[in-house]
Amino acid sequence: MSGRDSRAGPDVLRRVGEASVLILISLADGPKHGYALIQDIRELAGVELGPGTLYGALDRLERLALIESLPADDRRHPYRITAPGAAALREHLDSLERVSAAGRLRLRLGGI
Amino acid sequence: MDDRRAGRLVGTVLKCYPARWRSRHGHEATELAALLIQDGTPAGSIACSYLAGAAREWLTPRPGRRLSTVACALLAAACALGISAGLLTPTVPARAASTGQPHARAHCRPGPARSVAGVSPATGRSHLIIWTAGHGRFC
Repeated sequence: MSGRDSRAGPDVLRRVGEASVLILISLADGPKHGYALIQDIRELAGVELGPGTLYGALDRLERLALIESLPADDRRHPYRITAPGAAALREHLDSLERVSAAGRLRLRLGGI
Repeated sequence: MDDRRAGRLVGTVLKCYPARWRSRHGHEATELAALLIQDGTPAGSIACSYLAGAAREWLTPRPGRRLSTVACALLAAACALGISAGLLTPTVPARAASTGQPHARAHCRPGPARSVAGVSPATGRSHLIIWTAGHGRFC
């Protein structure tokens, strides 16, 4: 796709928003099209992703080369996570894990 | 809302997207909306989501889009907001905010001024009210 954004720096997913992270997590186990993504994210995270939000996030992720669109079957475009997308997701999840562990530790230390 | 009306509503909202977006996602977006409506998602909520998406799509700078296009979209949005605000706002505050000389109406031409001493109920302090042609103003 033209107009790829090359500003993807370290932990780029901090800037793209929760919807984009959820889409990447959903695509991590295989390609999906829009409807399958919405259903999977609803089951996975209990989040109702609106179709307008979905397409905005898909376009943004595609510009950042974190996902790619596969040839359409019927009218639907399946999307697949790319190698940089998987690396960015892994890095982001590691970062969340570190923050989460620190938060739990502080809660324990604070006796709350 | 029946399926035909819901489809028309979503179709209308999808026309708000730029042509480039419609040629790429248009058919799929229509089909996705139909599937979501079948699942029980209200058509209005789908339309709102697409409308917000269309606004974001126009306002997000793209490498291939000229700045003037974005500026026009912003200007149109600002005008629409201005017109709405103009319709909703009563005319009296607009006159009060004017920095020019007030246009005196025929029935309130300035007459001879006379002063009356009084106490402001809000502050409890004494003040002078100047009555001009029957209209009292705090000084």
